[in-house]
Amino acid sequence: MAWISKLSLVLLLAGGAAFAHHSAPVFYKVDERITISGTVTEFRFTNPHAILKLEVESEDGEKQQWTAETTSPSVLRRRGWSQASFQPGEKVKLEGMPSIDGSFLIRITRAFREDGTEIGVPPGTDN
Amino acid sequence: MRPLNVLSAVAGCALALALAPKSLHAQAPEGHGIAGFWSMAPGPMPPRREPTPVEAELIASFPEGAVLLADAGAIEFPPGEYGGLDVHASLRDAAKSYDPENQTDAFLTCRPPGLIYSMQGPFPIEIFEGRDLIVIKLEYFDLVRVIFMNETEHPDDWPLSQTGHSFGRWEGDTLVVDTAKLMPGTLFNNGVDYTENVRLRERFRLADPNTLVVTQEFEDPGSFTGTAARIMSFRRGDDHVYPYDCDPTYGIAIESRQGRE
Repeated sequence: MAWISKLSLVLLLAGGAAFAHHSAPVFYKVDERITISGTVTEFRFTNPHAILKLEVESEDGEKQQWTAETTSPSVLRRRGWSQASFQPGEKVKLEGMPSIDGSFLIRITRAFREDGTEIGVPPGTDN
Repeated sequence: MRPLNVLSAVAGCALALALAPKSLHAQAPEGHGIAGFWSMAPGPMPPRREPTPVEAELIASFPEGAVLLADAGAIEFPPGEYGGLDVHASLRDAAKSYDPENQTDAFLTCRPPGLIYSMQGPFPIEIFEGRDLIVIKLEYFDLVRVIFMNETEHPDDWPLSQTGHSFGRWEGDTLVVDTAKLMPGTLFNNGVDYTENVRLRERFRLADPNTLVVTQEFEDPGSFTGTAARIMSFRRGDDHVYPYDCDPTYGIAIESRQGRE
């Protein structure tokens, strides 16, 4: 597995080592908010950040596959989230930060079921 | 394999302490009140707000000229921002080529960002106070710190690690901890790292039974000039720190996002 070591070395030499804090400001416009609605296709409730995949239909009918990132499940659990919070096929509305690069990526700040019920407790801080 | 042996010993020690709270109390019947579960207090930290009296007292203890960083807690500096710290020009230049996408690389996504940065992040900690040891479990990346209360210097042959070697002492009601032997880690998570010669000094003081104030002072001539400092307040909670058990496939999920250019 020498190639893995070489790859890691290259990454470490490129302007500071790569450490995994998964910083929001480098991926998201932290001062902006967008809202998307779609159908859940997958939910992974694992650290470092839980991931929700959903299909969103745009205004012109295009089906977009969105990745919705949250904070750590360790933190979310204390806000009332669990692996059972989202089920595939369920329709949800998400509020959050848009991606800087324009990709279909959102950092969730609040999540709602189809009937408007909020999922978990809104964050006092976002990790 | 010595580093692994040491880490295993540290983890085992922490587990033993966690599983034997009665013996802990038997060793330290008085304690100093810092044991327990602590969450970062919500909202900004100084200098983004006025310090409380205890915070002000601790800030006054910083070395003259220390730079109090404004990124404690949930706040994060963007690329190119170093909070007024005099980071060496060569490292600033190198940071211009830093690619934050590396943070989600599947090989690296579960690598802790370093102790100094981890201690100020908005994740809970749990403190176990014994006679000769104080153990601090960080929920963030499952880091476990051991602070030797019966030592006064760092062994020359101590291996570098994410949590380094720490010794502490009580100065009145303040726990003062000195840490060295840290592996290089990020200063601000934006491309500049401290070196293995960094020295960290921390103070832990109860403002009241349910409020713990923690300060950091650190120097690293290899990456910046002078002293950097942070101050954070934690609130006591009725909970425990649980395993983080980082899942590296998180990075794959982010990297495979649709619409990425």
